[in-house]
Amino acid sequence: MVQSLRRRARAWWQARHPLSDTHQMGQRNIYILPSRPGMFYCITLVVLLLASINDQLSLGYMLTFLLAGAGFASMHATHANLRGLSLDLKSPQPAFAGDDVQLEVRLHNSGRARYGIGIQVRQGKEAEPAWADVPALGHSMLQLRCPAATRGLMSLPQLRISTRFPLGLFGAWSVWRPAARVWVYPRPEQPPPALPGQAASSGEGQRAATLMVRGQDFEGVRPYRQGDSIKQVLWKKAASAPDDQLLVRETLAPASRQRWLDLADTAGLDWEARLSRLTAWVLAAEQLGQPYGLRLGAQELAPDHGPAQRQACLELLAVAPLEPLR
Amino acid sequence: MNAWAAIKARLQHLPRETRDTFFLLFTIAATALPHASHLPLWCTALTGLMLLWRGLLAWNGRALPGRWSLSLLLLVTAGLTLLTHRTLIGREAGITMLVMLMAMKTLELRARRDAFVVFFLGFFLVLTQYLYSQSLLTGLWTLVSVWALLSALVLAQMPVGQPSLKLAATQAARTTAIGLPVMVLLFLLFPRIAPLWGIPSDSVGRTGLSNEMELGAMSEIANDESIAMRLRFEGPAPPPQSLYFRGPVLSRFDGRKWRPLPGNNNPFITRAPAPRVRGQVLRYELTMEPLRLSVLPLLESSPEAPGSEMDVQGLLLRRSVDLQWLAPRPITERLRLNQQAFLDYDSGPLQPTLGLQAYLELPQGMNPRTLGWAAELRRRPELAGLDEQAYAPAMVAAVLRHITTAEFIYTLAPGRYGEVTPHLIDEFWLDRRLGFCEHFSAGFVVVMRALGIPARIVTGFQGADRELQDGYLVVRNSQAHAWAEVWQAGRGWVRVDPTAAVAPDRVNLGQALSPPPGALAGALGQVNPALWQGLRAIARSWEQLNNRWQQYVLNYSRSDQFDLLKKLGWRSPDWQSLGQLVGALIGLLAGAGAAWAAWQARPHDGWSRQRGAILRELRRLDIAAAAHQAPRQWAALLRARHGTAAEPLARQLLALELSRYAAGSTEDAAGWLNRWRWLREFHAAGRMLRHQTMKTS
Repeated sequence: MVQSLRRRARAWWQARHPLSDTHQMGQRNIYILPSRPGMFYCITLVVLLLASINDQLSLGYMLTFLLAGAGFASMHATHANLRGLSLDLKSPQPAFAGDDVQLEVRLHNSGRARYGIGIQVRQGKEAEPAWADVPALGHSMLQLRCPAATRGLMSLPQLRISTRFPLGLFGAWSVWRPAARVWVYPRPEQPPPALPGQAASSGEGQRAATLMVRGQDFEGVRPYRQGDSIKQVLWKKAASAPDDQLLVRETLAPASRQRWLDLADTAGLDWEARLSRLTAWVLAAEQLGQPYGLRLGAQELAPDHGPAQRQACLELLAVAPLEPLR
Repeated sequence: MNAWAAIKARLQHLPRETRDTFFLLFTIAATALPHASHLPLWCTALTGLMLLWRGLLAWNGRALPGRWSLSLLLLVTAGLTLLTHRTLIGREAGITMLVMLMAMKTLELRARRDAFVVFFLGFFLVLTQYLYSQSLLTGLWTLVSVWALLSALVLAQMPVGQPSLKLAATQAARTTAIGLPVMVLLFLLFPRIAPLWGIPSDSVGRTGLSNEMELGAMSEIANDESIAMRLRFEGPAPPPQSLYFRGPVLSRFDGRKWRPLPGNNNPFITRAPAPRVRGQVLRYELTMEPLRLSVLPLLESSPEAPGSEMDVQGLLLRRSVDLQWLAPRPITERLRLNQQAFLDYDSGPLQPTLGLQAYLELPQGMNPRTLGWAAELRRRPELAGLDEQAYAPAMVAAVLRHITTAEFIYTLAPGRYGEVTPHLIDEFWLDRRLGFCEHFSAGFVVVMRALGIPARIVTGFQGADRELQDGYLVVRNSQAHAWAEVWQAGRGWVRVDPTAAVAPDRVNLGQALSPPPGALAGALGQVNPALWQGLRAIARSWEQLNNRWQQYVLNYSRSDQFDLLKKLGWRSPDWQSLGQLVGALIGLLAGAGAAWAAWQARPHDGWSRQRGAILRELRRLDIAAAAHQAPRQWAALLRARHGTAAEPLARQLLALELSRYAAGSTEDAAGWLNRWRWLREFHAAGRMLRHQTMKTS
């Protein structure tokens, strides 16, 4: 019974606040309640009124009603401070588990200037809101962080947009559930472990080094293509060539070596720790600029390098099952 | 010089926190300033020091004092308050503590949100000012302090950057201005009810009349130029020296204070003859400002006998034996009444009665030298051997002569009596001889009693402004006065004003003796009489403004509320009609608010609204049209569903398509009037089609 009620309430809540990439605030999604100081303000007004009645102070009545009027007007002003403001979110950059996801919210204002707009990430412990003023007919940016606890494709937490301007007697707020999702990669192992094979023997490392040197070696001759370095041009041969064709020296590409980052190489560790090590390896291999492939049990990513490869590998690691692969 | 420039430069580039603190400190100082005149000196000084200290801490960026020093400060404050006021909960003690607490709170103000406490204390502090004065100037001053408090409140809600004070002040003013209609409505319509419990105290700083008299207590009232009452006579106004307004009658003396006789204040003792009035009757209309006194001072003397009752706006007044008009509670509203009076009268029993004994009592063992002086007077040969009828008048004349001939001086600043000796009357009558009405009347009454003549003090008002104001004779609080009544065999109680003997102008002109104009004013008057006249004219119009304020704002009362209702069309207004008006207004405002919200929430462009109406009409025609489709598609759907019968509708939709999307379509197709016409036609065609389909089915 309670369960179903709760489920219904949640369904209603989610229907009221559909996921979206922009958030336009209006009558339907702004809530307003007196704040704690607002309650005290009310009590103060009641005491002032009682004092005015008991001492029959006309000016006391006036003061009380002036303050009551200002409080009443501040309710509308607080509501209007949010109403008509629209927000959007820059698509967030991926983060590593344990780090913070950076959110960049842009506030657009099509009306008069707004002050003291706070945005707060609602996730577990309530964070301090970040504050911004939005100029009239302008916009402003706010940086927020939310902790990325576990790897995966994380949906963004709810954002609470609130204000108490001008008098702080009322708190108006609105809840935004951003539709965007953000990649959270496994946490890389710290300190970075040595790449597989590299650590196996120093001989291997030496061979890799000689390979790099051999990359400079003369391997053959081919016609000039746009983009070839001037240093590579064989000027003497070019001078003797019959049809003025430039010839360049061709060198062996240093990328001849492929590296496999294999889950099997991390055996003996905790499951998440194994993923962490693989993540660290991906980062290290990417930095070396050599092609690398990732083997995760049956799943394989063919060797390559570059940002796309890095992203593909990290995303594969991020969505790896929660249970160890056999 | 250099240091000054450095300070100036720093002031312009204060960090936000420091600047806000300074602003708050100035606000608090401005709020507390009007209290300085009636707070104990130590409180004013300590408050100033604390604010200064807080300012210095902010200027130097030092840490705030710890909990211990604050607790110590609080203890010292409480102790000093207890010492000064002998209590911590009384009103004046409360105000003292309020000021001190507010100053102290600034010393532990850490977060901007802590400031809320200061604001709310500040609003209380503003209210307490009205216990002392509700003049226009006070109103303006408190308006400024409330504005500053609200600005500080706004500042606390602007966490970003360094918003200028001007911006915060503008926002505060804007919010208050928007709330102004609410204030005006509440002020006009909030039912003015009697005090809920207790009685409005007349203790706080009220220097007006009271049910007690202590030598020196009335000295401050001389400066209270606010209006006590206004009179309009049928016919010419009598000269000011004949206007005595009878307030509390004080007959019991304990050596220091004068109080009323307890029995005489009992409204149920009615066995006393009516005053014997003679001469012309004076009819007048009186508007009495709230004096917070349970005695209504009326012109001497109305002809009613003790025990008679008078109903003034629901307040039942009863005449006491000593001819006061007593109310069951302090009068806190403005009263308007019509009365009559006879300037020439006497009252009380003609032959000695037992009751007169009370008017002969003197405190035991007090003022021995004055008693001795009286005994000496009695033994004078020219006063010896008088008969019963002649004795009292002769003695009165002799004592008044003594006041005129001995070196008595009338002054509003006689200094304090009773600091070196408990025998106050001795000190006044024989040693210092400085005083004003209450000293003279008290001394006179004591001497009379010592001579065996029943006597009592009457307090009230005497005189009026020389100039009429809007046709009214104005009596001010500064015209409060004390005189004596002496009982003479065969005549009864007769008024004697000993002050007139020493300062005839006080009584003859009806003017409180104000201090002579300062040297500057005197010089100005001689050098440039025109300017002096101009200044006086300004002063007079300011006063008139102040009076209007008093009349229309401060004295706005229940009867004014009902008058307002009458103007609005209620025939016999009462609480119920007030409730109806308030209910109607709330309904109206709520309706307006809902309408405004609906207006805000509707689609903003005309096309969206038109499309919504079309879709609703199509749905009634059983067609599942969607918002993203073009009018052309809707037309196709219509034709498919209803065939040729739907042709008019379809044609209209196609025309709409053309007007919206065809090349060269102009804006006038989008005008609201066109849209409305189009929709009217469309709905009519829709109705026809529905009618037809109903018939065929």
